[in-house]
Amino acid sequence: MNEQHDRPDAGDDDLVAAAGRLTTAISPERDLWPGIEREIAGRQRSRWTPLLAQAAGVVLLVGASSGITYLSIKDQQAPVQQVATELLFERAAFGSNYALGTDYREAHGDLAARLDDELERLSPEARADVETNLALIRAAIADISKALANEPDNALLQQLLLKTYRDELALMQNIGALTQHVMSRQDI
Amino acid sequence: MSDEASCIARAQRSDTRAFETLYRLHVDRVYGLCLRMTGNVSEAEDCTQEAFIQAWKTLNKFRGDSAFSTWLHRIAVNAVLGRMRKSRREQDRVKVVAEIAPAPVSIGDSGNLRDLSDAVDRLPEGARHVFVLHAVYGYSHEEAGNMLGIAAGTSKAQLHRARRLLAQQLTTEGFQA
Repeated sequence: MNEQHDRPDAGDDDLVAAAGRLTTAISPERDLWPGIEREIAGRQRSRWTPLLAQAAGVVLLVGASSGITYLSIKDQQAPVQQVATELLFERAAFGSNYALGTDYREAHGDLAARLDDELERLSPEARADVETNLALIRAAIADISKALANEPDNALLQQLLLKTYRDELALMQNIGALTQHVMSRQDI
Repeated sequence: MSDEASCIARAQRSDTRAFETLYRLHVDRVYGLCLRMTGNVSEAEDCTQEAFIQAWKTLNKFRGDSAFSTWLHRIAVNAVLGRMRKSRREQDRVKVVAEIAPAPVSIGDSGNLRDLSDAVDRLPEGARHVFVLHAVYGYSHEEAGNMLGIAAGTSKAQLHRARRLLAQQLTTEGFQA
């Protein structure tokens, strides 16, 4: 803001000079903050919604992309074991109070341990694609978990997290059709 | 880092208490601007609230290129203009009611300045907005034009119109600056 007024006709401009003396700071007759606070607090509470949309988008993107990756790399590999189309989880729960089931963690650890060897067998392009997809999925898992920490009972978030974990396992399985683990999941 | 800069930084990290501090620091000038531009207490309150809510939503875009108060004022002007565009009919109704029974708006001016303040309220919208931003709040024609979405030349023309209309009104009331 210019401190000096830009007045083209300052000579005859007593009016503008007088206007410069008008009160500029006027207190509202009532406190407007509570209404503002309600609105911005509401926005804060719902901040996970765009996060959720983003994470869901990532899951969709990665799902499609990893399918393409699988199709592109399957012919490069020795015959692989058919991957179960639907992974089942043991009882698992998420958020700050929960942890995934033991079988899931074992299967995940097993796959992760073999992943580097399997990636070595891929072409550089396919390997880069797989690694990008895995990074996206893991970022989505981190984001959804963060949202779940705030809303541990949110069923939609739980389902999305479960699906994202499932996609991660499926992607790792697709790479080498490694796993023999089939887990059973009853509920979150 | 100044207190204000510290509050801005904390508010940008979603600290609502810091944002409340910013609100307390700036609300009087933002409300004053809204009141001068709308001439209506209720509209000014709504615009002020809208402005701060919008500021909260876009706070991460504030980079300090201008003073925080200028940034806030720009948002407040947008809130006023947006509200006027959306509720033109409502504005007309309010004007009619105001003509029938003018509600005194206590702005804190006294004597001749109160006459001037009342005369400013009676200016046509475009002339009033420019006069308030330029003559009362001290923004340049470039800044006022930028806030209002008009050219600087248009702002100057509106100021000229405002001065002419004010002079006509106030001459009959014996105004002395």
